[in-house]
Amino acid sequence: MFDKILIANRGEVALRILRACREMGIETVAVHSTADAEAMHVRLADASVCIGPPPAAESYLNKVAILAAAEISGADAIHPGYGFLSENADFAQMVVEHGFAFIGPKPEHIRLMGDKVAAKAAMRRLGIPVVPGSEGPVSHEVMARDAADAIGYPVLIKAVAGGGGRGMVVAKDEAELLEGLRLARREAAAGFGDDRVYLEKYLARPRHIEFQILADHGGRCIHLGERECSVQRRHQKVIEEAPSTVLDAKTRAEFGARVAAALGRIGYRGLGTAEFLYQDGEFHFIEVNTRLQVEHPVTEFVTGIDLVRAQIRVAADEPLGLAQADVRFEGHAIECRITAEDPVSLMPSPGTVATYHPPGGPGVRVDSALYAGAGVPPYYDSLIAKLIVHDHSRSACLERLRRALAEYVIVGLPTTIPLLQAIADDPVFVEGDYHINWLAEFLEVWQSRSR
Amino acid sequence: MGKLNVDPALIERLAELLQRTGLTEIELAEGDAKVRVARAPQAAVAPIAAKPELPPAAGSASLAGAAQPAPAGASDRHPGAVRAPMVGTVYLTPEPGAPPFVDVGAEIREGQTLLIIEAMKVMNPIRAPRGGRVANVMVSNGDPVEYGELLLIIE
Repeated sequence: MFDKILIANRGEVALRILRACREMGIETVAVHSTADAEAMHVRLADASVCIGPPPAAESYLNKVAILAAAEISGADAIHPGYGFLSENADFAQMVVEHGFAFIGPKPEHIRLMGDKVAAKAAMRRLGIPVVPGSEGPVSHEVMARDAADAIGYPVLIKAVAGGGGRGMVVAKDEAELLEGLRLARREAAAGFGDDRVYLEKYLARPRHIEFQILADHGGRCIHLGERECSVQRRHQKVIEEAPSTVLDAKTRAEFGARVAAALGRIGYRGLGTAEFLYQDGEFHFIEVNTRLQVEHPVTEFVTGIDLVRAQIRVAADEPLGLAQADVRFEGHAIECRITAEDPVSLMPSPGTVATYHPPGGPGVRVDSALYAGAGVPPYYDSLIAKLIVHDHSRSACLERLRRALAEYVIVGLPTTIPLLQAIADDPVFVEGDYHINWLAEFLEVWQSRSR
Repeated sequence: MGKLNVDPALIERLAELLQRTGLTEIELAEGDAKVRVARAPQAAVAPIAAKPELPPAAGSASLAGAAQPAPAGASDRHPGAVRAPMVGTVYLTPEPGAPPFVDVGAEIREGQTLLIIEAMKVMNPIRAPRGGRVANVMVSNGDPVEYGELLLIIE
C-alpha cells in the first residue's frame, strides 16, 4: 500500500480523497494555488505545497509543478480527483515515468476513451450498443433512404464537420429526409465548408444513465449498478440518483454485466463510468469517464462500498476482494450539486461564506470543503457542496432531501439551494418522469416566475 | 497554579521533535503544568508546511489578498524579496562542492544568477530582478521550495 498520496485537486473532492487516505493510514500532501492557501483541503492535509498562482493552467493543470511537488514531498502516488488532469493521458504517463503510481486507469485506456470516435468504435466491437447510424457520410438520396430505413425514423442528419448543434436536421419520415438532406448539406457547406452529412438515430427525450465499473489489475471487473443523471443543465449534471426509476433488477444485472465484461476484456483497471443515453428500453453508449465521478456518493450509499478506498487499493495492485455476487443494492440515494451561482440567473457568485451550517441527521451526507469564513474564489468550478441523502425508498428519500435542503444554511453568497428545493417539489421530478432536456424546460418556467 | 517540574530531557526531546517534523510550536499540558517549545517561523524553511491539528475557524484569505502566499513575516513583505517562481529543489552552487552563486553581503547586478531551482530534472537559474546587496538568504542548499516561497532578500 502507498505511504503518502499527493492529491492533485482542490475543493470537496480533495477533501473526499483526503478522508479516504486518513482512514487507510496513508499520509496526504495537498497542493494548492495561492488563491487556495486557506482552503480546507490544505488545512487538513499532513503537508501542503503551493504550486502556482490562481489560474488553473499555472497551478492545478501545471503538470511539472505537481510532479515537482510529489518529488519534494516524498509522495509515492498521485490521485488526480476529477476534472483538471484526471483524464489527461499525458499526465498519467508522466506520473508513471517519474516512478509514482497514478491512481486511475492505465494511460493507454485514458487515451483510448479520450478519443470519442475511437472509444465508440472500440465499445461497439466489444458488443456495447451505440447510437445507430449510417456507416460514414451519405452521398446521395438512395443511400440516405436505405440508411434511414435501416436505422428507423426519426433520424438526425448531422454534418460530418459540424458541431455545436449547427448543421443538424431532424427527419420524421422519408419526405422530411429528402428535404432535410438538401437543407443540411447547404447549411454544412455554408457553415463548415464541407457538405458531407451522415445519419444517426434521433433520440428526442433520452435519459442519461451510467454504469459504475470497478476493476483490478488481475482482470477482475465488476459493476456497481447505475446512476440516473438526467437532470442536467448544459451537459452539467445537477441531480443524480440511484437506482434509476426505469430499470429493473434484471436489466441492471444483465446490462451491468455486459459493460463490466467489455471493459474487463480490454484490461481496464480502476474506476470507470460508462455513460449511456437510454430511450424506449434501449441503451446507446456515449462515453467512458476514466476517473472518479462527482456523483460517486450515490453509488456508495446504495452499495455500501467506499469507491475511493477501493480505487486506491486497486491502484496499489491489490486485488478487488469483492465478487459481483457480493454487490447488493439497498434503498435509494439522491445527490444534489450545490453551486455558487445565483439560483435564478445562474450567474457565478464567488465570495466569502459568512455563516455555515450543513444539514445532518439520519441518511444525510455532505461532501464540501466549505466553512464559515471560507473564500469561494472566482477561478474554479462553482461546485461548493454535494448533499447526498439515502433512505429505504425513493419517496422517503425525497422527503429526506427536502428536509436536508431546508436545514442547509450558507450565508454570504447566493447558492442554488432554492432552485434545488423547487426541483425537489416539482411533480415531474417526484414522479421520476424526466429526460435530459427536462431541466432546461423547467428552468424557463422557474426563471420567468422568479423574475 | 501547580508547581512546574521542569524536565530538561523532555524539553530536549520536544525540541528534537520540533526540528524533525518542521513544526514551529509544540505545547504539552498535564494538569496545570504546561510546556511550550517554539522556534521562529523564519527558521522553518521547510516548505512542506506542517498543518495545525485543528483547522483554525477564522481567518480566511480574502479574494483580493489571495495573490500572496500565507506566511507573512517582516522580511516577507520586503520590496527586495525574491520568491520561488516554481516548485522544486534549491541549489545554491553551480555544481556540488563549488562555491555558492552569491553570499550574504555580496554586491550583485541585475540578471545575475542567484541560485538554481531544479524541477523535474531541469535546472532553472533564478536571476536577480535588480541589482543591490544580498541582505539575507532564506534557503539552504537542497531545500525543497514551493511556489511563492521567499528565497532571498536584495537591498
